[in-house]
Amino acid sequence: MAEKPVWEQIGTSFVQHYYLQFDTNRANLADIYTDSSCLTWEGQGFQGKAAIMGKLSSLPFKTIEHSITAQDHQPTPDSCVLSMVVGQLKADEDPVMGFHQMFLLKNIDNKWVCTNDVFRLALHNFGQ
Amino acid sequence: MGDKPIWEQIGSSFVQHYYQLFDTDRTQLGAIYIDASCLTWEGQQFQGKAAIVEKLSSLPFTKIAHSITAQDHQPTPDSCILSMVVGQLKVRGLVDCQYWNMHNLLKNVSVQNCWSLYTHVERACILIFELNADNFSGLTDMLGLYVSVWITPGG
Repeated sequence: MAEKPVWEQIGTSFVQHYYLQFDTNRANLADIYTDSSCLTWEGQGFQGKAAIMGKLSSLPFKTIEHSITAQDHQPTPDSCVLSMVVGQLKADEDPVMGFHQMFLLKNIDNKWVCTNDVFRLALHNFGQ
Repeated sequence: MGDKPIWEQIGSSFVQHYYQLFDTDRTQLGAIYIDASCLTWEGQQFQGKAAIVEKLSSLPFTKIAHSITAQDHQPTPDSCILSMVVGQLKVRGLVDCQYWNMHNLLKNVSVQNCWSLYTHVERACILIFELNADNFSGLTDMLGLYVSVWITPGG
């Protein structure tokens, strides 16, 4: 059986870790961000680990569960890994919603960190 | 009113240009890719300008219209720009699909001030409110798209 390319292994592993931590204890995500990381959450920008963790910790749901529909990983010119995830999530008793998220991962001091993170719910104007 | 950050200006401008080309004449998209570009289209990988343009030109629809719901742009550590677009597209008037693109723009150093598309990932999700054996498999065959089935509470 052929091995997956290394960027797929890194990306897949990161994605699995990210959503596991997000769904069980979001505070554990602090390790994956640095002081120069950027998060855009539903159009709002946050710069740096502290601001990002402030936002993630303050999200107003008690329980959350992500389910991944598809994920894609690509290498970038400067040896980073780009990962894109499409899936569904359920927060508390709210209806299931779709989401899209992308991560740019960089190897710093032998550790893969997230330098860029963009999250959007899949909300459109349907019924036209 | 403050100026938008430079990465937002470049990103927005590129996104507008990209979809305009895509919806009117896809064969012209070659100008934005380089030989080191990667495209992942619905899980399939394509490497280099020629392979990418061939894939985009060979997509099995004649008429397509994209409508952007939201776009986000961020600067990256190595002075590139990351753009994420979420929207809807209409193919041959058949069904409304969501789509989702991720673009990583790279400055093409050989041409001053020319932004090229380095990595491009496209995913579409068909929302099917009424699953129906006839239209379900026909649609996925024709468009080769992943399907996200939405669970509505109360059935």
